[in-house]
Parts: sequence; structure tokens; C-alpha cells
Amino acid sequence: MMSAHIVLTTLALALVAGPLGCFVVWRRMAYFGDGLAHSALLGVAIGLVIGVSHQIGMMLIAVLFALTLIWLRAKRVLATDTLLGILAHAALSLGLVAMMLLGAGEAEVHDYLLGSLDKLTPELAAWVIGGCGLSLGLLLRFWPGLILMTTSEELAHAEGVPIMRYEFALMVLMGVVVAAAIQMVGILLITSLLIIPASSARLFARSPEAMAVSGSLLASLAMLLGLPLAQNFALATGPVIVCVSVALFILLLAARLLHRPQVS
Amino acid sequence: MPSETTQTQNLISASDLTVIRQGRRVLDNVSLDIARDDFITLIGPNGAGKTVLLRHLLKLDKPDAGRVTHLSGLKVGYVPQRITIDPSLPISVRRFLTLNNSEKENDIATLAEETDITPLLDTPLSALSGGEMQRVLLTRALTSDPELLILDEPAQNLDVNGQLQFYTLIEEIYERRKLSILMVSHDLHLVMSSTRKVVCLYHHICCSGAPESVARDPEFISIFGNDMAKLMAVYPHTHSHDHTHEHTHDHDHGEGTT
Repeated sequence: MMSAHIVLTTLALALVAGPLGCFVVWRRMAYFGDGLAHSALLGVAIGLVIGVSHQIGMMLIAVLFALTLIWLRAKRVLATDTLLGILAHAALSLGLVAMMLLGAGEAEVHDYLLGSLDKLTPELAAWVIGGCGLSLGLLLRFWPGLILMTTSEELAHAEGVPIMRYEFALMVLMGVVVAAAIQMVGILLITSLLIIPASSARLFARSPEAMAVSGSLLASLAMLLGLPLAQNFALATGPVIVCVSVALFILLLAARLLHRPQVS
Repeated sequence: MPSETTQTQNLISASDLTVIRQGRRVLDNVSLDIARDDFITLIGPNGAGKTVLLRHLLKLDKPDAGRVTHLSGLKVGYVPQRITIDPSLPISVRRFLTLNNSEKENDIATLAEETDITPLLDTPLSALSGGEMQRVLLTRALTSDPELLILDEPAQNLDVNGQLQFYTLIEEIYERRKLSILMVSHDLHLVMSSTRKVVCLYHHICCSGAPESVARDPEFISIFGNDMAKLMAVYPHTHSHDHTHEHTHDHDHGEGTT
């Protein structure tokens, strides 16, 4: 049986993963999310060095990552996905080297890469739930403007939406949620926690809001089914959650193909 | 001209705008006033600074020199060239029209009648054709009940038939609503009947004035060629060496032309 703080953390993560995952899908930020996750290990190492918690270290690195990306992108020399590739792998390599120099065992690094519940203390859970709640609140507060910006940045800008700030805010929110979820799902698979439920929801959703809410429900389902499975069979949590999530996606895809042959 | 208020009732008054990008003067001492009831068509070759000028008129960017003044409380509706909706975003036309504004369902229905998009209201935005999308964008621009519509090559991606329909709609709205229009368009021959004033931009304002006089301007002809000039000229006997005109400066002040 899972303890209460784990269930609550799971629900908080799933709740924010729905709407945030939608933006990752709509705005094609999947590779950005991956890059952010790769940089998280460096955040852990920095946290160890300067003596703050892993989560704070990861968020610091996430903000730094987003700022560096925006700055390099503005130079308009290299494509965004090239920049992300450089940044992500530089950060991952630096993180791995730093972790090894700091004497972290392979088991510890493994846990960060694939996720584990071992270190999810009630105290950490409170932080994670707080971070998710804050992110969700911000997403809801600025929802209409964010959706308008997603339909057309030009139009949103002309109508007075501060698009630069909104985009940076989305990047930072992703950093917060990635940092919050990494313990459970792991660096390698964190992006799928965001994009698979949202993509499944897209198969039948008719409005942005319906897609976000269904995404949250599907993410909850995947995590609440996946976590006990992983515990029972002593498996890494991340891969099991993603397997369940993909299974749900396939089920919904099949149902859609059977019932509504014409994809709109 | 450092005065703090608009002396006239111009909706937008831009004076001596200069914008320098990477060492190049994209806009060079451009002045433009938009008054009530104006129907201004802005033309110019690619890279002439038309979109940059629009962005400054909308106050989205700050010029390196000069200033843009809006009549206080001015409501502007903006129609972009085109928008592409990612199919992963499920959103109906109706929802799009009410996004991030205080528009009510009733008002949307009335507006939709006006722009002839009533049958489209429940269609997904990503399923619209080019012409339908432009009408939807126009409808959204009208939700604020604007005094001025600014359109950036709104019919650029439409076929000839779609262009005609779109411009007819613009003209109807102009007549009915008594608003002002500033439109970037290369299809001068299609908007001639409504256009009160043509402004020809090539980093500076080359010439401006009534369509028929602009068509005879040597600078216009040197940029757009004789064919375009002939296409525009309403008077059949117009020819390029007409000396009766000067650069028609209209009421603009401080233009960069010499």
C-alpha cells in the first residue's frame, strides 16, 4: 500500500501535468523539456556543492537553462533544436561528471535517471505539492492569454499579451514541474509524463480546457496504476508509469479509430 | 516635434519615426497621421519596412527616434497576415473569438452575421480554409468595436476570388461602421474604389496621396514600374512624364522625401 504523502504527491503532479503537458504539445516544447530534464542532474550536483536541496538546485539550473537558451536563440545563428542538443548534453555530462566527483554511487545516479520512491520523504512531498500547486495556479490565472499566444504570438502581442514574459514563465514553470517530478519519474522519462497524457487527451478533446482536464485525469490514472506495479515488482518507477501511460494512449487511439474513422 | 499631446483629432499620429536595425535605417524619418474615416493603403516592396511601421504604429516596438501618439482610449483591431493553428490544439472558432476578451456569446453571433462566418462558429480553427480564417481573424479584430482596423497583407495567401470577397467585406465594414482603416496591401487595383489615400513606403515615405496622383509619381513608378502605375491609374490618359504634379504630400509633415 502506498503511503498518503506519495498518493498526494502523485495527484499533484498529475494535476499540473495535464495543462502543462498540453502547452508542451501545442507549442512543441518536448525537446525543451527533455533538455531541461537532462540539466537536472547538474542541478542536483550544484545543490550538493552549495548546500541547498536538490529541488532548489534543479530549479536554479532550469532558470539558467531557459535564460541561456533564450539568449542564444536571439543570436539567430543556430537552430533551436541544435542549441537544445548542445545545452542538454553539456548539462547532462557536467552533471554526471560532477556527481561522480562528489562520490555519488551508481545506484544514486540510476535513481535520478529512472526515478524511485525511496527518497520521497513527507517533507519533500510537501515541497513538490507546493510547487505543483503554484504552477497550476499560475497556468490557470494566465490561461486565456496563454491560449491566445498559442494560436498566434503576433496576434496576442498586438492585443497586449506580454508574450516574452509568458514564454519565459512557461519555461520556468516547466523547470519547476520537472524538478518536482524528477524524483518519481526520473530524468530520462520526465517529458513523457507531460506529453503522453496530453496527446491521449487530444484524441477526443474538443476544447483546450477539455484536453487539459482529460490530460490530468489520464496522468493520474497512469501514475496511480504504475506506482503500485513498480513497488510490487521492485521496478524503477519511471519506466512502469510510462508503460501504463502508453498503454492508455494505445487504448484510446484504438477506440478512436474504431468509433470515429475520420480524424479531424 | 516634442509636444506632449496630439493637437489634432488624429487617431494615430506618428512623427519622424526612425528605426535602425543592424546599422540599416529600416524606417527613415517616417511621419504618418491616421484620421477618422481614413482608408489608407500602405504599399511598398518586400523589406521596405511596412510591417516594422505597423508594429510601431501599434506601439509594439519603440523607435530609435520619433514618436507615436494614440488618441487616448483608442481601440485598434489588428488582422495579421495569416496564422497557422497547430492541429494538436482543439479550439472552435467560437472559443477563439472569446479568448482573452470580455466578448459575450450574443455579440459573437451578431458579429458572425456581419462577417458571414455563422456556419463556421463550431468548426475547429485548424480546419478552416485560408479565406475562412481571414474572415475569422477580421471578426476577432472587430470584437473590441475598434475605431481603427490595421491589417497586414490580409489577403496575401488567398486566391483571386478569395481576395475579391475579402476586400468587398472590408469595404462593407468600412462603409457601415465608419471606422478608419490602415491596410498593407499589394492588391491596389482591388481596393482602389475605397482607398482614399495611398502611402508608398520604401524605408522613407516615397509618396502619398490619392491613388491616381500617386500612380503618376516618378518615385512610385521607379519602384513599382510602369505596369503597376498603369494598373492603378484611373485616368486612361495618364502617362509617366506628367509634370503637373509634385510629390503629393497630403497633410503629412516632416516627411523624409526631398
